Amino acid sequence: MSTATGTPKPRIDGALKLTGQADYTADISLEGQLYGYPVGSTIARGELTGLELETALAMPGVVDIYHAGNFDPSLRHSPNSFAEENTVSEPRLPFEDSTIHYHGQYIALVVADTLEHARAAAGEVIPWYSNDRPAVIDSLSALPTDDTGLPGVLQEGDSNSRGDAAAAFDDAEVTHDAFYSIATETHSAMELHASTAVWAGDRLTVYESTQGVVFQKNALAEIFSMPSEKVNVISHFIGSGFGGKLFMWPHAVMTAVAARRLGKPVKTVVPRQLVFTSAGSRPASLQRIRIGARKDGTLTSIRHDANNETAFVGMHDDTVITATPSMYACDNVAVTNRVAEVNHGMPCPMRAPGEAPGLFALETAMDELAWQLDIDPLELRRRNFTDKDPASDLPWSSNYLKECWDNAAERFGWENRTAEIGSMREGDEVIGYGMATQSWEAMRQHCSARATFLADGGMQIACGTQDIGTGTYTIVAQTASELTGIPIDDIDVRLGDAALPSGPLSGGSFATATVLPAVKAAIEAAVRKLAERVNGDGQAFEGASADDITLKDRSLVQGDRKVAVTALLDELELGQISDVASTAPGDEQDRFSFRSFGAVFVEVRWDPGISRLRVARIVSTIDIGRAINPMTARNQVEGGLVMGLGMAMFEQTEFDHNGYLYNSNLADYIVPVHADIPPIEVELLDHPDYHLNVFGARGVGEIGLTGIAAAISNAVYHATGKRIRDLPITPERLLAD
Amino acid sequence: MVDTTPATAVQHADPAATPRLHDVELTINGQTHHLSIEPNVVLLDALRERLGLTGAKKGCDHGQCGACTVLVDGRSMNSCLMLASMADGCDITTVEGLAKPDGTLHPVQQAFLEHDAYQCGYCTAGQMMSATAILNDPSIERTDASIKDAMSGNICRCGAYKNIHDAIKTADARLNGGE
Repeated sequence: MSTATGTPKPRIDGALKLTGQADYTADISLEGQLYGYPVGSTIARGELTGLELETALAMPGVVDIYHAGNFDPSLRHSPNSFAEENTVSEPRLPFEDSTIHYHGQYIALVVADTLEHARAAAGEVIPWYSNDRPAVIDSLSALPTDDTGLPGVLQEGDSNSRGDAAAAFDDAEVTHDAFYSIATETHSAMELHASTAVWAGDRLTVYESTQGVVFQKNALAEIFSMPSEKVNVISHFIGSGFGGKLFMWPHAVMTAVAARRLGKPVKTVVPRQLVFTSAGSRPASLQRIRIGARKDGTLTSIRHDANNETAFVGMHDDTVITATPSMYACDNVAVTNRVAEVNHGMPCPMRAPGEAPGLFALETAMDELAWQLDIDPLELRRRNFTDKDPASDLPWSSNYLKECWDNAAERFGWENRTAEIGSMREGDEVIGYGMATQSWEAMRQHCSARATFLADGGMQIACGTQDIGTGTYTIVAQTASELTGIPIDDIDVRLGDAALPSGPLSGGSFATATVLPAVKAAIEAAVRKLAERVNGDGQAFEGASADDITLKDRSLVQGDRKVAVTALLDELELGQISDVASTAPGDEQDRFSFRSFGAVFVEVRWDPGISRLRVARIVSTIDIGRAINPMTARNQVEGGLVMGLGMAMFEQTEFDHNGYLYNSNLADYIVPVHADIPPIEVELLDHPDYHLNVFGARGVGEIGLTGIAAAISNAVYHATGKRIRDLPITPERLLAD
Repeated sequence: MVDTTPATAVQHADPAATPRLHDVELTINGQTHHLSIEPNVVLLDALRERLGLTGAKKGCDHGQCGACTVLVDGRSMNSCLMLASMADGCDITTVEGLAKPDGTLHPVQQAFLEHDAYQCGYCTAGQMMSATAILNDPSIERTDASIKDAMSGNICRCGAYKNIHDAIKTADARLNGGE
């Protein structure tokens, strides 16, 4: 099978994952380790006035219990800076004070000799609280609104405008104005958050399930006031994260403190209930969309104003308006976002942050406008296609949205849609068709990587990024194999270790575009290093300039001279030749706008007798430039569509009037399961985007989750005539008049 | 006045008392293991923390996600819902026992590899153990709907359901001569 980039390749880590040998964080056991078990607050707002610990401390195997009264006062806050690569999810330190800001906030960590002992003792820790003020559980009902009708503090940095959207809206021939809401969702990665800390003298090693080993290393170094080279963070396999594991959470800090105090490794696996309350969410959002248009469908004004909830323990701006200025040709656009504090755990980015919620509102509003104008929803979008990015006025690096629309519409059979509501039926079921545009910004970060040619003919590539299930291990091996001619089975890829050359977060769909250029540069650097050692007198490439010596099919080549790398290493009596290289985005960022687009079409079936709604079919066509491994890339899009189906139909964390999160488990917080999955047909176009990187890849992790919720709600309207602007689309909402 | 004190006062367990240990024999992937454990040790935790068999995963600890699925006497079980002492004398198969001793992948594993029926790989052991049990169960119809229903106790948050389903059908064809 070909291993070149752009061809399907089964994962190189597949056998490890399929035989139970892949070492996820909680799988790692260290000699003499103790078990940490966190205790969460049972109230959402108030003061922790006391902890009864006598019983718990006397229980079998209990070593110690950490809490606000005995924690480490020497800890510092992380600067919490993305630019400095030390962002943390919750800036507040664990047990920093006795104020409770959300249900599940850690109030103690029990450490014992076994998991069972730690868990049993955690259940005997008795907290005492005072709470004289009600929890803020909902920003809209608790806070005043501004003239947009939205609560929260305006985030000036999010505002973006061109033309005069307000005046154009007032003058428009046709207008649409509506509010859209999305419930709080959780990442619910299958792997529980876990951290094992071990100190060796003044050096700290943390095994963590994280999407960013480098960020966590840097944050720990700040918090423990240590040189960063004395901290390492390891995450070889991650049971995915979806954004919930981008940045460190407090459980890692309290585990590292416990390990230092006790002089033994401590392993803490966060129980699922506490993952729900205390390890991130996509915050609830409320959005208002105002669109003005001419009767022919030409957009004349888009106003997109929004709010997202955040926590009292930190600020998370979900930037749900971020894609709107770039989506359609329109001279007058204005977007704003607000943030409002509630007594919930910290929200954080969740797969396709910004775009997934924002495009639900915008793409539903576009459908509503299409109905008002009596124009086909796809045709309305075609009439407003923009051949440059109107937000930056820069040309697109590459844009095949029209092909996506056409390709997906044809495969779906959109021409069979009859426009009248409820007009398509089969038996007892009413069929609805809906569509939406999909989009995600394409980004690239700086990155370092190391390439090593080994004397046995193999190669190692090392980079401090991660594979969270996206297939990074495999595409790095494909790339190295393509560039060197070394068979993919002989390429050893090392990721998930902050001691390796600094790599990016696994997030934002930017890892592929970021890492592969660094892999290429590292291979070229190692080749150059070897070339400079074999062009001396009497050597294989005597007299040749190192500039002219290139690598081809495992050999160095210059003119008609060709010598195998292994032979050259033998000649030099070297076991390996290795080099590190770094790459970064360049001035292309000032010349082009980088954004991926796609189109998604959905068929729903509604049985009005019992108000049962099912998604029956999903078709999506996506342009992500070049898919390095179409097999894993398509899987990413399918997974995004499934998560979007959950967002549209099922997912919401539910809080009682005291701010208690009462569906904090995987039976009551509903995620899609096998039986919910309709036929899904994804096609990836293949138009490499060489402006972003030499491999033409723009990344693929998020875009599948965008647009799908709107396509579902639009299909629901077509079937039922009910316009549901609040997610999830529950049976209760479908039954309401 | 009626005396409401019961003749024998209810004895509440003293949390500080050390529970009695149970001797448990587990046959796992053909190998016999003896454990002396407290009665509240869950089978999943016994496998992972005491026997070094970490292929079965903990995703919820409440029988809601299926990541911990193993075969107990041939039937698929959520090992997080079973005390280890309840499995005393049982024959248990975990994902580590699915491939042949020479490393040849089980047809379910091979089909998962070919169909890319996973992403992060965390739920994968549970998906494969459930699939293996289903493909050994003639009472489950080989229709798409039946297979999906039978697999719905295994959550894949990455959403690789389509590929998992296709892999199960491929494995069924190879194991049972299905379509």
